[in-house]
Amino acid sequence: MLELGPLLSRAFQALQSWVILHGVPPLAAWILAKAIQVGVLVLLVSLVPMVLVYAERKVAGFMQARLGPMNVGPYGIFQTLADGVKLIFKEDIIPVGSDRLMHIMAPMVVVSPVFVCFAPVPFGKGLIPIDLDISVLFIFAISGISTIGVLMAGWGSGNKFSMLGGLRGAAQLVSYEIPRVLSVVPVLMVYGTLSLKSIAMGQVGLWHGFLPKWFIFYPFIGQLAFVIFLIASVAETNRTPFDIPEAESELVAGFHTEFSGLKFALLFLAEYAYVFLSSAMAVALFFGGGDGFTLGGWIPSWFWFLGKTFAIVFLFLWFRWTFPRLRVDQLMQFCWKFLLPWSIVNVGLTGLMILLRK
Amino acid sequence: MERTLPTLIFACMAILLIGLSLIVVTARSVFRGAVALTAALGVVAALFALLGADFVAASQLLIYVGGIMIIMLFVIMLSQRPLDHLDRQTNEQWVWGAFFALAISCALIMQFRAVYRGVFVTTVATPTTASIGRLLLGDMVVPFEAVSLVLLAALVGAVYFGLDGKDRT
Repeated sequence: MLELGPLLSRAFQALQSWVILHGVPPLAAWILAKAIQVGVLVLLVSLVPMVLVYAERKVAGFMQARLGPMNVGPYGIFQTLADGVKLIFKEDIIPVGSDRLMHIMAPMVVVSPVFVCFAPVPFGKGLIPIDLDISVLFIFAISGISTIGVLMAGWGSGNKFSMLGGLRGAAQLVSYEIPRVLSVVPVLMVYGTLSLKSIAMGQVGLWHGFLPKWFIFYPFIGQLAFVIFLIASVAETNRTPFDIPEAESELVAGFHTEFSGLKFALLFLAEYAYVFLSSAMAVALFFGGGDGFTLGGWIPSWFWFLGKTFAIVFLFLWFRWTFPRLRVDQLMQFCWKFLLPWSIVNVGLTGLMILLRK
Repeated sequence: MERTLPTLIFACMAILLIGLSLIVVTARSVFRGAVALTAALGVVAALFALLGADFVAASQLLIYVGGIMIIMLFVIMLSQRPLDHLDRQTNEQWVWGAFFALAISCALIMQFRAVYRGVFVTTVATPTTASIGRLLLGDMVVPFEAVSLVLLAALVGAVYFGLDGKDRT
């Protein structure tokens, strides 16, 4: 009914054949089609952070018994747009003592992997940009490149606070990457595939007629895997309570202290896009993707997917106003002495479950 | 050589890789050299992907770019400062060094040309993950575990050397 996937692909094929009919060579038409698809994806991914910034400010406001932004547009919905315009027109400052090339390249290195990471995310039926066979591994691998950008930003700014922020960021991102990857391993073991689309497809259906077959409802292993994935994702996106790389009370603003204008906007875009990406991954891995258990026929799958994703994004925003910031040593101990052992235990338990089922 | 899109991409990647490798050995700032090395390893991953080895390409990115290079940059940041006096990476013997490097690469190219006729560039990506997994936990399980043991020994050794003098027993 309201499924966008088949509709879009039919429109696209009609457009492509029309172009070929009018004398454009097929290869050029194919490249053009891919360029349009990439353009749509990049535009949508750039729009997401605008929505998330507004949501964050509103949620923060409500949690502190304030109203949040109210002045620009009805209920302040154009506030982020106004902020974006302001950031574009701000002066771009490069500090004198900085490594200029690194300073200029850092925001690009941080932001460009984000768009690539969204390529294998199944947004709904037929709404998957590329169905990669190794999509889970692909997302983990590509998002690791952003860490290099964080280090470049810390180094290129040429001051102590940025350097410390970059160092902390690198240590944290490398450490939390390990439990994050290991927490996904049980999902891969149960469904026997690395493709996000196939994992989401494997979770369609009901147990005993009422419980959706989502991975989170597997007894114990599902919940444990999700909790570890969520905690590690919050740490990977540098958000409170794991925001020591940019702890404002200690490091001014960490690795993005010296960035202004559009570069600052790009660093923020990357951060919020990663929050959205982590939530989308959690939905595809643990919450059945676009599966809408009993009401499945009435509401389209892309709507389910986005709804669940924003519900998990809300968890990220909620954490920020609930937990105080951890210390550096506490952060490392929590990762290596709690998350890592439990994720390994979880992999073992999943193996046992698969063995017993046979 | 055929003039197809994959060949064109391969040529671009190869030129990029050579350029980045030159930056690695000539850059005066160690940090910039390390960043160029990171990019070069990323390009190698792209070459793997072009050969149809999707799992190897992703692992290359995950392990080299996302792991090893970050630790390397970390160490450089701890030991150097952006405004440190930058030394040249070469001394007066660079002419001879370049000569021998060129000679060895020419010899290698000639040897490889004899073995490989044409470039094996594919656009059809057949998934390789399942067969790699079957190999690693099937026929190759003993070497796989042996390599894991070596890594474990390295980890234990690192922890031992990281301990304070009085904690060592």
